[in-house]
Amino acid sequence: MDRVVFQSVRKIFRHRPALFNWLGSERAGETVALNNVSFSAASAEVLALLGPNGSGKTTALKLISTMLLPDAGSVQVGGFDTRRDPGRVRRQVGIAVAAERSFFPRLSARENLDFFAALDEVPRSERAQRIKDVLSDTGLEEQADTLVMKFSSGMYQRLGIARALVKRPSVLLLDEPTRSLDAANTAHFWATIRALARQQSTVLLATHNFAEAAAVADRLLLLHRGELLADRPVGDEESAEALRTFYFRMTGEIDEAMGAVHRAGRTI
Amino acid sequence: MITASTTMTSTSSLDKLYAILRRDLLTAVRHRSGFVVTLVGVFTELAAFYFLSRAIGPGFRPGGIEYFPFLLVGTGVYTFFVMSAQAFLSAVQEAQQTGTLEVLMTTSTAPAELVILSSISAFAGNLVNLLVYLFAGVAVFRASIHANFFSCVAVLIFSLAIALALGIAAATLQVAFQKGSALLWLLSSGLWFLSGTMFPIQSLPRPLELLARAVPLTYAIDGMRQALLEGQSVTAIAPTLAVLAGFGVVLLPLALAGLSLSLRRARQDGTLSFY
Repeated sequence: MDRVVFQSVRKIFRHRPALFNWLGSERAGETVALNNVSFSAASAEVLALLGPNGSGKTTALKLISTMLLPDAGSVQVGGFDTRRDPGRVRRQVGIAVAAERSFFPRLSARENLDFFAALDEVPRSERAQRIKDVLSDTGLEEQADTLVMKFSSGMYQRLGIARALVKRPSVLLLDEPTRSLDAANTAHFWATIRALARQQSTVLLATHNFAEAAAVADRLLLLHRGELLADRPVGDEESAEALRTFYFRMTGEIDEAMGAVHRAGRTI
Repeated sequence: MITASTTMTSTSSLDKLYAILRRDLLTAVRHRSGFVVTLVGVFTELAAFYFLSRAIGPGFRPGGIEYFPFLLVGTGVYTFFVMSAQAFLSAVQEAQQTGTLEVLMTTSTAPAELVILSSISAFAGNLVNLLVYLFAGVAVFRASIHANFFSCVAVLIFSLAIALALGIAAATLQVAFQKGSALLWLLSSGLWFLSGTMFPIQSLPRPLELLARAVPLTYAIDGMRQALLEGQSVTAIAPTLAVLAGFGVVLLPLALAGLSLSLRRARQDGTLSFY
């Protein structure tokens, strides 16, 4: 059974200028973040939402988490609609957001996790052990009792992942989860995610890193300017290479990169 | 290793309230200078009111009460209301700025429950400040009181719904228009003027006095003066308590409905973390 279902989802952000807009240059308008996007994700599946900045990846994750509501279409998690049953959806979903500092700075890592675990209705009797587990899984054991205001970007990011994991969600949403992690932590993190998927969790990962998405995901969804361009399984090396070529051709990212290299070469 | 689970677990609202109170207490005590600044502020304000009442002289006894105790209760209750709402609003603004609000809104706790519990915590913190304020007024500046403990508790309990409504209304405007501070400033100025904080509302022109009688805080301050300074029983202040209860029954659901609407709109527009 599909655990996450996107059906013809459209999301538009409307910009309303300020009241005294004549003082500035802000203009009214709208951005189509997602346009008629449909896909589904099953239990035990790791699905990568892949695309350049502004492609709609984060919007898709926020729609699943109920942070946002769709303008058209529907989003369902475990059979519950995010608009009609947001409470039941939230009980199933854990999200690690890109905003690194979404913690209480004068609480320690352990205290922050304990606070969010209480709001996520993790039973008090299990809380300490679960927090210990996720701190271990994210490599934060030694910093467990350090105030998070002293954390580095990478530590904040790991704590965000720990927060998403502590409720043991059936759907885990990760927004650029390894952006500030070093290679060792990244490798350990992906091993954890694969283990989680083996235990029937659904993992949706937003990233613009093709190599990472191809290495960890079962399926790749290619998003570009709010449109779903491709929905392909990650198979053998040959199909991955074909998908890689497709990705860079569709998004134009390689052209820009190559152009930059050529320009740098000429200057040098 | 982590294990997946779809089991829905439940913990009581009390457990969540404990978690929120603990968070706010830990944050407060780790702002080491915060307590000192608050204490200095309390004593400075009380000293100013003490000398103001001496300057005015013993002849001015609004409602038959000495002026310094009259000021002590008026400003204490007013500050409790406004500072609690301010503390709650600041917490919402800070959560918007750090991105914590969005994450909080994705937890298993319903937004309305989260907001009520958070505001209770903000008011609990300021209740301690109110007690310190009143204690200092009595112990250091010799304000004469004749307290009826049960009446004081009753006034506080019946006022709490109104105070929560005020805090939630400010949070609603903050989420909807990012202008909660402006509302609070406007309300706090109006409340200070109209609720009999510094002088009896009978001193106001008739139209303003009628307006003052429509302000819930007027009854909270009046009720506390009757309970704390005149020692009146719960039965004697029942009419005031009934008015407070009436305001609470109307205002709290209205504020919660407004918050629910503004959160839904913010989710639709993607403005939950705008500030």
